[in-house]
Amino acid sequence: MVLIEERQEGQVAQSRDVVLSVRDVTVGFGDTLVLDGLSLDVYRGEILGFVGASGAGKSVLLRTILGLVRKSSGTIHLLGQDLDAATDEERLRVDMHQGVLFQHGALFSALTVLENIQVPMREYLDLPRALMDELAYLKLELVGLPRNAATKYPSELSGGMIKRAALARALALDPDIVFLDEPTSGLDPIGAAEFDELVGKLRDTMGLTVYMVTHDLDSLLTACDRIAVLGGKRVLVEGTVEDMLACDDPWVKAYFRGKRARQIDRSARG
Amino acid sequence: MKLGRAHAINPAAIINQIDRMGVGAVPIIVLMSAIVGAIIAQQGAFQLRYFGAEIFVVDLVGILILRELGVLMTAIMIAGRSGSAITAEIGSMKMREEVDALTVIGLNPVGVLVFPRLVALMVAVPCLTIVANFAALGGAMLIAWLYSGIPPEAFIDRLRDSIDLSTIFAGLIKAPFMALIVGIIASIEGMKVGGSAESLGGHVTASVVKAIFVVIVVDGMFAIFYAAIDF
Ligand SMILES: Nc1ncnc2c1ncn2[C@@H]1O[C@H](COP(=O)(O)OP(=O)(O)O)[C@@H](O)[C@H]1O
Ligand SMILES: [Mg+2]
Repeated sequence: MVLIEERQEGQVAQSRDVVLSVRDVTVGFGDTLVLDGLSLDVYRGEILGFVGASGAGKSVLLRTILGLVRKSSGTIHLLGQDLDAATDEERLRVDMHQGVLFQHGALFSALTVLENIQVPMREYLDLPRALMDELAYLKLELVGLPRNAATKYPSELSGGMIKRAALARALALDPDIVFLDEPTSGLDPIGAAEFDELVGKLRDTMGLTVYMVTHDLDSLLTACDRIAVLGGKRVLVEGTVEDMLACDDPWVKAYFRGKRARQIDRSARG
Repeated sequence: MKLGRAHAINPAAIINQIDRMGVGAVPIIVLMSAIVGAIIAQQGAFQLRYFGAEIFVVDLVGILILRELGVLMTAIMIAGRSGSAITAEIGSMKMREEVDALTVIGLNPVGVLVFPRLVALMVAVPCLTIVANFAALGGAMLIAWLYSGIPPEAFIDRLRDSIDLSTIFAGLIKAPFMALIVGIIASIEGMKVGGSAESLGGHVTASVVKAIFVVIVVDGMFAIFYAAIDF
């Protein structure tokens, strides 16, 4: 643990730009605490993989950052803005520069894919209709959906297409940071690999910062720059895959060195 | 740049809702009201016959339908038909995190989802009440003719004498209140839906039951209020 903290300080010294900073955040429902004094930093331009047991509170942390769940204490700075102290205008600036892909896509079921992508544009940009269509088609292409998907309703799409369409909506305003909640769950391995590749490509071309909640070991290995593990209501350990393999925590050990993870182990050891 | 949060009212959404909740409900409201009007006319005529006062059935149905039954039956039908639909629509959006997605994008779910439906109901329910009044009086007129031998011209003449504008408005004034009650209860129940399908079903049921109950209670309170001010 000491080692990790030193590493982090080293990074701060290099003055890497912190996009999201979560400090001592505590969240509970009724009497039960789900998160207790959790702290986490996400740096500009990185893909952070966030793992943890099912029910550990990964989605709760995400929803807390997004302001959908109330925290009982702690502070969250997103894009340099203290979210509790933000005025309406500042909050709006943050909303404009973030994109979210919910666990099940959360596309608006009454709207077509194209209209879904245009919802944020309509809200924030005063553009003529033709230009907005043009932009939306660009986003579709960006996430690898065919043009004929534009007029389909979410109920007519496959799981993988829903995730891609939701990502297109999240990218509608060219955000600085996107939050992805289990983007590859429910996708076949090939689709999942393509999605990881897509996220990596977007980061490289758009300078996107990606916060990705995931259970997918392959994603963690191939797409993520850094991994943070949630356990015991706080971040147990954060760092690279090597740091994870070196960690002594039983859950982390089981996760990264269990039967399903043998592949990583071998490749990491060379 | 528009810079957001200018929650412009969306006329297309409101018109779409009026079409579904108002125009779409016309056939069932006409049918139900005509049948209830006919039943009341037959029962009234049957009882009044003993007193040789069968013509008073016109006064009976005229006042009863215009003041109470037209708006009450419309409100109950709308609670069942549109209230359940509103709860199910908003609830399933809640279930699929679409409401959260709206919030995160910076849109106010109440403005986007609830407001157009409330406005549409406020327009549709008064119009439907007028339709229900005509249909119920039509059903009563038919029965008065067939069962009691009161020809339509006599029915209408008698109706002119027994009611006035205040009778019509006493009923019609209640319509927007009924619309608000159904709309607000349905929206609140929809927003309470959690993550499961059982939760959705439970809240749809609760929405309809609560709305019908409150509609009847409020109708009773209007009756007390009217009695108190001699309206
Ligand atoms: N709205 C809520 N009310 C009460 N408990 C909740 C709520 N949301 C989540 N929880 C609880 O918080 C814990 C963490 O949930 P979640 O963050 O969804 O897990 P995961 O890490 O799998 O995403 C779970 O035990 C869940 O029961
Ligand atoms: Mg989750």
